[in-house]
Amino acid sequence: MTSKNKSIAILNSRAPFSSANGKDALDIALIFGSYEQDTSLFFQGDGVWQLVNQQETDNISMKNYLKTFAALEFYDIENIYVCAASLAQRALPNDFHIDNVTVLNSNEFSKELHSRQILLRF
Amino acid sequence: MQTLAVIVTTPPHSNLTTTAIDYIECALKKGVEVLGVFFYQNGVLNASTHLSLANDEYQSTRQWQRLHKDYALPLYLCITAAEKRGLSDDLGDNKQSNINNEFILSGLGELVELSSKAERVVQL
Repeated sequence: MTSKNKSIAILNSRAPFSSANGKDALDIALIFGSYEQDTSLFFQGDGVWQLVNQQETDNISMKNYLKTFAALEFYDIENIYVCAASLAQRALPNDFHIDNVTVLNSNEFSKELHSRQILLRF
Repeated sequence: MQTLAVIVTTPPHSNLTTTAIDYIECALKKGVEVLGVFFYQNGVLNASTHLSLANDEYQSTRQWQRLHKDYALPLYLCITAAEKRGLSDDLGDNKQSNINNEFILSGLGELVELSSKAERVVQL
């Protein structure tokens, strides 16, 4: 591998199953994690639906990629941020299917996001 | 010299792809070293040999080929995303390919490599 490590933000802005964006973002997160890059996940807008607890996909004929979120900690991806305003707008509780999720207000969310050197949005 | 890596996630008919091509060419003309373009999600469709766009529309394939030829610009294709969309370098017994020659078959590890090397990474 090369030069110095960079910090990477992966911003999730889409709901989980209507498109492949969430899965594509997760694949990228796990790869960056496996190369020991400083990787953080951000959830904003409809992206917050990806964190909603107890989602079942059997009756929509989709593979439940959300289960793979449990692997994030094994790749040392520990910074997971969710936008409080996006949750509030959708009347979603702070009840997520993974641990270590940090709920941030818009200013804090923005500050964390801007402190990363690379931003990839899905 | 400044270094740049670009990630293209939009299909050939998207105006964001046109924007990516213009952006990359502008950077190259200004002397920025573009380490590579990584094609992911629907961006992989840019590598298809079977695109047929109306004559009076923007010919994105030709533009990618031109950038590759004129500037030796590396074009990296995420093969997993490509195969999901019907692109393959191994179609049956004759080992035929429907991926343009200019594209290098690669995986997400290449994206990590590019991100790590480039001073700036831009996604479209």
